[in-house]
Amino acid sequence: MQRQSEARLGPLLLLLLLPLAWGKGPSPPRAAEELQVSNRLAGQAARVALHYLNYRLGSPSALRALGQVRKATLKTIPGIGHKYYLQFTTEDYKSSLNVGTCLATVFYLKRKPRPAVNINCTYTKDQKQIREDDYSFYKKMRQQTKPIIGNDIPDSYGNIEPALEPAWALAVAGSSYLMWEKSTENLGYFMAQVKNVKQWITKDDSIDFDYSVVLHEIPTQEMISCHLRVIWTPGHPLKVKYFCLSENQWSESEEGSGTESGSTNGIFNEKEAHF
Amino acid sequence: RLGIIFAIHHLIPLSIAGVWPFLCSYVLCQLDFWRGPGGQDVPIDVQVPFASLQAVKIFLESNCIRYSILIDDLQVSSLVDEEQTQMIRQHFMPRSVETFNYASYHTLDEIYDFMDLLVAANPNLVSKIQIGNSYEGRPIYVLKFSTGGTKRPAIWLDTGIHSREWITQASGVWFAKKIVDSYGKDPSLTSILDNLDIFLEIVTNPDGFAFTHTTNRMWRKTKSVNAGSACIGVDPNRNWDAGFGGDGASSNPCSETYHGPYANSEREVKAIVDFVKSHGNIKAFISIHSYTQLLLYPYGYTSTRAADYQELDNIAKAAVAALSSLYGTQYRYGSIITTIYQANGGTIDWTYNQGIKYSFTFELRDTGRYGFLLPANQIIPTAKETWLALMTIMEYTRDHPY
Repeated sequence: MQRQSEARLGPLLLLLLLPLAWGKGPSPPRAAEELQVSNRLAGQAARVALHYLNYRLGSPSALRALGQVRKATLKTIPGIGHKYYLQFTTEDYKSSLNVGTCLATVFYLKRKPRPAVNINCTYTKDQKQIREDDYSFYKKMRQQTKPIIGNDIPDSYGNIEPALEPAWALAVAGSSYLMWEKSTENLGYFMAQVKNVKQWITKDDSIDFDYSVVLHEIPTQEMISCHLRVIWTPGHPLKVKYFCLSENQWSESEEGSGTESGSTNGIFNEKEAHF
Repeated sequence: RLGIIFAIHHLIPLSIAGVWPFLCSYVLCQLDFWRGPGGQDVPIDVQVPFASLQAVKIFLESNCIRYSILIDDLQVSSLVDEEQTQMIRQHFMPRSVETFNYASYHTLDEIYDFMDLLVAANPNLVSKIQIGNSYEGRPIYVLKFSTGGTKRPAIWLDTGIHSREWITQASGVWFAKKIVDSYGKDPSLTSILDNLDIFLEIVTNPDGFAFTHTTNRMWRKTKSVNAGSACIGVDPNRNWDAGFGGDGASSNPCSETYHGPYANSEREVKAIVDFVKSHGNIKAFISIHSYTQLLLYPYGYTSTRAADYQELDNIAKAAVAALSSLYGTQYRYGSIITTIYQANGGTIDWTYNQGIKYSFTFELRDTGRYGFLLPANQIIPTAKETWLALMTIMEYTRDHPY
């Protein structure tokens, strides 16, 4: 990678998966086109990358939302699909504070059901704090003798009861799996509301929630109802099963190292820059 | 509606800000605060559901907050309750636009009452026009802000065309108040109103809006019955006569983007079309939606650039910069089709093709965390920042007559 890009991207890494040079350097393959940062497909692809990231991190305290797209390139691979190369900033889901930049590729394949995502991010939030927050939610849920239940989160007025906020965040993480799976180049999703949450008290180490969620689908504007089962132990991949009302069967996440359809190559704290 | 009305006095030592989050989690926020919060010494009346009674009492008592009980058994089912309801209504209806709570979401009745209060308080500046009726027979009102003249060039603003986008109607209410507060005080708005009229339709889809309160918070469309279908409603932002019926809309009545049987089939849309055509001198038309934080100009139904593309883009850029200057809120801008998606039969494509050059659509906060369910504490910040963008567009319209 060229010095100019390194300087601009700060401690971002040579682990970049991007074959294209941004800024000065060899010119991109002929089938690539630079997109305006306001382009809707670029924003949509960035959101897909973040759904994937939020699912893979499986941490209610480390959820990220899209900040701004800084750069976007689209490469058309005839007969195969469209690949987006993206650079975007991210915000902490709860506080909206900037928490770092990501580089991602999002590959919409003609023949595969879901987009293939590779994503690398810097992270400026304190990892220790995240682990503590996750663990404290986990502990609290493990200690419940009566299952947590709730409806309409947020409610019509945008209120979220503080006691239900971590369960809501876990729903966002779980929904991220389903939104990643359902996203196509032209169909995007937001989690609009948790209609219902019910905890399952289990004897094993995990915490276990049933959710009914409503997704907002763009550009159709439809509100899609889905049921989610989310099983979580901090530091382990999220297990998600879901069933949306337009579908005929449950879909579920695979356990494991995540070489299917994408990878994250780790999240690096901004302070530790290794080249 | 069951519960008890508490009048809360003396919020020392807790500030109002400290107590609201707590109260909002226990009470139905849209019902309370009919008086206040107006300051430390102004009592606040709060309706508390029976289920939350204990918790609220404990909270108030343990924080040394004095309260009294105004109505100890609020019900809505018998004759006696009719009287109670009347009394409550009289007691709780804001007596003026000064005590109206701009920081909460309101019902259709409350917003319609607000309009009457605003007109009554500013009879020389504001009038209310009925431009038609909704499908279910509700009156459709537009506020006219004018300092005189005859059919002056005008600016049109509408909010709430998609009923679930609650931040828009709430912002519309705030804009109405802002206009009357600014006339005679803010030189720019004063000069705008000395030269142009402003029309503001706050609840553009009243049937849908009522439905979001009573039944389905996520209702978007009108409530018209579709022949031969069990599904109700037409997308009022696909029902205009601009590229009507193309790919950027659905022909399925069950779809959220159903365009309707023909252009202007919806009374809510026809009312505006008739008004715009008969007025004939509207120079800027701004239709307000949420969410995703965008400022858009035509076209949505075609990727052909509008003839005034560059000028519109420049205005949008300036408006977005103005919006962002207040709290740093980031907006994207561009034509509808490149920035959001292809949409056929949209409002501002029609108004632009009518010759209303400065036609814009906003998508307000947020970018997806809360989406349609934006917390009420973001109403005023959203309205304030959006106002700066609106002022930019209105000033430009004033300064570039055509």
